[in-house]
Amino acid sequence: MPEQPSHGMQCHEFDILLADAFDGILSGSQLDRFQAHARACPACGPLFADAEAGRNWLKSLTEVEPPAGLVENILASTTGIATSHLRHLAPSTRPLTSWLERLQASIAGLVDPIWGTVRQPRFAMSFGMAFFSLSAVLSIAGVKPADVRQVSLRPAAIRHAYYNTQARVIRYYENIRFVYEVESRVREFKRATTPAEPAPEKQKERKNDTSGEPEQKQERNYSQSDNHLILAGAPLAPSDDLPVVSVTTYRRFV
Amino acid sequence: MEDVQVVAMLVRRCIAGDAAAWEEIVQNYNRRIYNICYRFAGSADDAQDLTQEVFIKIYRTLSSYDTHKGAFATWITTITRNLLVDHFRKTKQDRMTDSLDAAPSDHEDAHPLSDRIEDKSAPPDSRVRSRQVGETVHAALAKLSPELREAVILRDLQDMDYRDIATALRVPEGTVKSRINRGRAELARLLQRTYRQVM
Ligand SMILES: [Zn+2]
Repeated sequence: MPEQPSHGMQCHEFDILLADAFDGILSGSQLDRFQAHARACPACGPLFADAEAGRNWLKSLTEVEPPAGLVENILASTTGIATSHLRHLAPSTRPLTSWLERLQASIAGLVDPIWGTVRQPRFAMSFGMAFFSLSAVLSIAGVKPADVRQVSLRPAAIRHAYYNTQARVIRYYENIRFVYEVESRVREFKRATTPAEPAPEKQKERKNDTSGEPEQKQERNYSQSDNHLILAGAPLAPSDDLPVVSVTTYRRFV
Repeated sequence: MEDVQVVAMLVRRCIAGDAAAWEEIVQNYNRRIYNICYRFAGSADDAQDLTQEVFIKIYRTLSSYDTHKGAFATWITTITRNLLVDHFRKTKQDRMTDSLDAAPSDHEDAHPLSDRIEDKSAPPDSRVRSRQVGETVHAALAKLSPELREAVILRDLQDMDYRDIATALRVPEGTVKSRINRGRAELARLLQRTYRQVM
């Protein structure tokens, strides 16, 4: 902006007074000098007109409504307690009379903060990945959820299970390279799921069960890659050694 | 404006671990913070994420708020502004400098300029028209440089006084006034250009 004095006012001074002029707090000789500069200065005159127009445009921007659930999300991500639960805590609410209500409230108190965190997209992704990794590791190690019920906790049995698992894992990693590992997992998954297919009458029930659909789709994808399997280098583990429980099934199990 | 003592009490209760006091703070200020974020970031999704981040920051630093040093609203505006600066640096404004036409928004339905031309001949429904104007101004605002944009948002949309804006932006009051002038003028020029193209 050219610093030319016009009617006893510098452009810099005009710039400072411009905001005050819109607020209507200029008066007397100051206002006269301001107006004279606006008329005479080739830079400040247009600035005045444009700033006034811009100020009027901005008046068309009204306050927007925050999205529903924003407060709940904020509370969940800070205190980990949802609004509804805080209302429970408020002293004005009626006391919880029945033992069932008290039990529900105490369970909610324990679960809500954790659930609130898990529901956050960034955490949900992490939890999902952690769970996937865990189930993949368990699956490779040959752990079957069905076996969990029959697990013996005697020290000897635990030691036995430990060495068994270790031997299986070592065998697994020694024999195959990474690519073959992935491919054989696909094959194992197929084998593992085929005998576990439900009886025909149960299949009908499954059609209505939408939760089963992604798994079927996934299997279709897996079978596509099955066509490109190079079996020559991939060691064939005995079929009873194959982990029966696939990643997806395990997820459903939990 | 806020009652200094009421806010000071709320903050004290919060620091003492009173979850209901924190909820009251969130209820009282989420609208303000969301609107600043929405006008600055341009998109409703970003505004929602940023508002949440702002409150996480407030929650963590609440004990550092000094009631004697200024209004609570100015303090949270400063935190909001600092986070917006960080966000701007991260995103490098690539999404904001799109053309005025491509400014989808959850609050003001985005119509291409060609639609607006047709509207000129059609009988104007004032509510639709003002929404379209708002949408165009919102898109133009996103084209301002961040320094001018934040100054204009705090003054013309949040009605903050120059001194509080100067505190939040950490610049002298004269600079604040100058930025507001230039922000308003630049916005008008952008909009004049847009509407000249239409006609
Ligand atoms: Zn001048």
